[in-house]
Parts: sequence; C-alpha cells; structure tokens
Amino acid sequence: MTQAVIELQQIEKSFGTLSVLKGVSITAHKGEVISLIGSSGSGKSTLLRCANLLEWAEGGNILIEGDAVRWKETSSGRKPADAAQLISIRTNLSMVFQQFNLWSHMTILQNVTEAPVSVLGRDRKEVEAEALNWLDKVGIVDKADNYPSQLSGGQQQRAAIARALAMQPRALLFDEPTSALDPELEQEVVKVIKQLAAEGRTMILVTHDMALARDVSDRVVFLHQGLIEEEGEPAELFANPKSERLRQFLSATATS
Amino acid sequence: MFDCVDPKSLEGLTWLACYLTTGKHMAFYASFATVLFLLALTAPLAMLFGFGGALASRSAVLPLRLFGKGYIAMVRGIPDIVFFLFMPIAIDQLLETVRHKLLCPDVVEPIRRGNDFVVCTAAKLPLGAADQWVHELYGFLLASLSFAIVFGAFAGNTLYGAMQAVPRAQLETASAYGMTQRQIFWRILMPQMWVYALPGLSNLWQILIKATPLLFLLGVEDIVYWARELGGAKTSAFSYPHPDWRLYYFLFLLIFYLMLTQLSERVFGWLIRKTDHGALSAHAARAGS
Ligand SMILES: Nc1ncnc2c1ncn2[C@@H]1O[C@H](COP(=O)(O)OP(=O)(O)O)[C@@H](O)[C@H]1O
Ligand SMILES: [Mg+2]
Repeated sequence: MTQAVIELQQIEKSFGTLSVLKGVSITAHKGEVISLIGSSGSGKSTLLRCANLLEWAEGGNILIEGDAVRWKETSSGRKPADAAQLISIRTNLSMVFQQFNLWSHMTILQNVTEAPVSVLGRDRKEVEAEALNWLDKVGIVDKADNYPSQLSGGQQQRAAIARALAMQPRALLFDEPTSALDPELEQEVVKVIKQLAAEGRTMILVTHDMALARDVSDRVVFLHQGLIEEEGEPAELFANPKSERLRQFLSATATS
Repeated sequence: MFDCVDPKSLEGLTWLACYLTTGKHMAFYASFATVLFLLALTAPLAMLFGFGGALASRSAVLPLRLFGKGYIAMVRGIPDIVFFLFMPIAIDQLLETVRHKLLCPDVVEPIRRGNDFVVCTAAKLPLGAADQWVHELYGFLLASLSFAIVFGAFAGNTLYGAMQAVPRAQLETASAYGMTQRQIFWRILMPQMWVYALPGLSNLWQILIKATPLLFLLGVEDIVYWARELGGAKTSAFSYPHPDWRLYYFLFLLIFYLMLTQLSERVFGWLIRKTDHGALSAHAARAGS
C-alpha cells in the first residue's frame, strides 16, 4: 500500500447540541481520489473542514502524512496545540470551495500568488511565472489581470483550482466544486477535476455529481447523519448499493 | 498698489480694492486657512481614533472591547453640540489638573471651589504671560482635538461596521490557505473593508466640513465669525461705511463650502470606484438572486 496522505480516525464534531460527525474514519492514500456523497446536512463539508482544521474535531485523530495533529485541552474544548503544525497542515491541504471564494480585491493572478508568497514565503517572480502556468493549465491565463467579479462562475472556480494547485499541496479538498455552477459551466470544471485525478493527485471530493464520482474516484464514501453508511469502489457501490438509505439516495439524485 | 491712506476720498473700484484688503479682511481670508487646517488636522486624527475604537471593539480582551464599544456608543448617544461645548473645557481642565498636581504639589486648597475651577498660576494653560498667538493656538488645538474625538467615534462606528461587513468566507478562505490572524487582517480585511467604509466616511467628512462653523462657538475666529463681523452695516464712524452686506458675505461662504463638498464628493467617488472591483455589485447580485 502507498503512503497515507490524509488519515481521519473516528472524527467527532458537534455544534452546540447538534452532533454532526459521530465517528467517521477515512484514509486517502497517495494518488487516491475519494468521493464523499450524502444528502445535504449529512456532515460532508464539516468533515473536510475538520481535515484542514478550519473546524476543531472534539474526538478522533487526524494524521497528515503520518504526522498526528497535537491537541491541547482548553476550557472551551480541544484546540490544535502547535501553531506551526496548524499552518503546515493548511498549506499542505488546499481547499476548493463551492462558492469559489476568490479574494475579491485581488486580480486572478494575485489570488493565485498570494498564499505562496505571503504564507510560504516564496519568491514573487518565481511564483508568478508558475501561477501563469497553472492558469494556462485550467484555461484562463488570459484572465490573469481581471478581477474575480469579471469572470463567469466556471472561470472563477477554475481560478480557485489554480490557486489551490499553486500551493503545491499534498492533497486537494473539493467541497461541491460544481454545485454553484450553471449546467453549461459545470463541464469546464469537471474536465479540470478529471485531469487532476488522471495525474494521480490525492483528492477528497465532496460532490452531488454522481457521474463525476463514478468517473474519477477510487473509492466512494456515503455519509448519512454523521456516520459512514456505506463505502466501496464506485462501480460496485453504484451498481449494487447494499443499504436501503444509499438506494434511496441514489434514486433521489438520479431523478433530480 | 493703491494708496489707501484716506478711504473717505476713494471711489469705485479703488475703494473696493482698499476695502477688501483691510487688516480685518486679511484676518477673514486667513480664517479660511484656519478652517482648512482644522480639517487637515482633525480628519487624520479622527481616523486614528476611529481605528482605535473599531479595533478595540473587536478585541478579544474584554476591558478593551468595552472601552471601544463605550467610546463609539457614548458619542453616538449624545448630541454633538453638547460634546463640542463640553469637550474643550473638559480637556483643558484635565490638562490643568494634571499640571497642578505635578507643578504645585504643596497647594492644599481643592481645585474645585463651588462653581470655580482654580489651579495655581504655574499650572495654567497657556501661561498667563503667554503671547496672544499662543492662546489662539491652544484654543485651536483644543477645538481640533474635540472635533477629532467626536468624529473619531463616528468614524469608529463606520469602520467597525465595515469590518463586520467583509464576508466571513473571504477571511475563512485566507485561514484555510494558512494565513495568520495578522496576515488576514492586513491582507484581506483591511483592503476589503474600504468598499463598505467609504460611503459612510464620505458622509462623515461632509458633516465635518459643515460642522467647522462650530469653531466659532469654541472661541476660534472662523469664517462665519468674520463674515458676520465684516458684513454687518457700518456707519460713517467706520473707515469704510457700507450698508448690511452680510448676505454677500454668507453667499461667499456658501460657495466656499459648496466647492469644498463638491471636491470631496469627487475624491470619494474616485476612491470608491478604485476600491470596489465590482465586488459590491457581485455581492448585491448574489444576495438579490
Ligand atoms: N458552524 C456551524 N454552526 C452550527 N451548525 C453548523 C455549522 N456548520 C454546519 N452546521 C450544521 O451541521 C450539519 C452538517 O453540515 P454540513 O457539514 O455543512 O453538511 P453537508 O456539507 O453534508 O451538507 C448541518 O445541520 C449544519 O446546519
Ligand atoms: Mg456542504
């Protein structure tokens, strides 16, 4: 087996009295693409956010390339103990958001170069040259000097993917990257994601697009009410869902 | 130049030229500079206080947060005019009290005696023997500081609101990419808040411009003071007798203020366009859809 890049072990997370994750374990090995599916509110985004420590899981372990997150207990719950580790994990896992979240006051090029320069402390000239390559790869190098508001949704999401790639991360986390897009713009983003999967990048992909999940994933995980209800290889899981809930979920998404 | 020695013998344009260059008119013109100085001094100072107030209001440290919120709320709740009258006296008495304590430690009588406020001679500000211009400068500085404190609270309110208005997702994305709180503040929050702050600050600036005549209430001889003084009817006992010309003087002030507010509207319009990048309209569209 290749090296595990992201290991989530028995992750628990609640908001107030609402228990959102009740012990979820997922491992993404190097080069693996894992799709997370499940109905809205099942805890998919929360799980991704726990992985890069945007949310602090109350229970369970998080290991990034074998390095376990160190925690400290405080009066308001468990917090990451090591600020340097926190930053290192966030720079090694790049997130792509449903709403793109490009920084609105920066041009596309600045969006891509911002974190490599200000967080990783890399040389601006060098990063800019690379950034143009990433933008070229996602097909919007001509938009480098535009502001996000001047781009279509599909172009913005591709810029956001270039921003994620520019960090040279160990893994990419996608949170419903195509859900905010009109159907005709979805495909341009899907194409980029497929290309990244084919290159052997490690990715966790939350998606409502079952065709995409089937095409790119090595494994599909079906989350239901904060627990893994079923998981497996896409061909098997989509063809022969074992649990009643997954059957219902699949037939509901197929008709919608 | 004209010979203005004997105004009674002058006529027409010569009379007018001599009239408009009397010492008092020169003081009138200089008072425009006073107003501009006040604005130039007050605006940055108010922004500084405003930032202080806004940042304190967002602080994680409770006493600091209470101070910030108190500062912003206090001035909002009290009519400005009360503040303009109260603040210079309060600052003056505060400074004099501190000096009194330091310079005259052996005076035993209390400073407050009934309605009177008595400090020792050495503690007086400015010193009794100081030149007239020192008194005027001191008064002017007290007035500017008072303006800055009051407008700082308004600015603090606007800046606080603007910081809250920056979408959370913008900041959260920055932390997802490893930025520290400090980096998020300087690289995302600060550049983005201007779009939300500028319309409010533009308004405040206009109000500040139009509040400058309050200087007159604080004893600074500003343009309104001089316009009234010079415009009033002058009998033949004066060197340049004329009927009541206050209307013309005030029209002149009106033009001055209009030009100032017009100019600042343009500058703010330009700044708003410069900082927007379509982000606001994009948000509005998303919120509306
Ligand atoms: N910051 C939060 N505070 C309170 N509740 C939250 C928060 N984030 C998510 N939730 C709740 O947790 C549940 C799971 O949310 P989420 O992980 O976003 O689900 P999914 O991405 O699968 O749709 C939902 O009920 C949501 O309302
Ligand atoms: Mg979600």
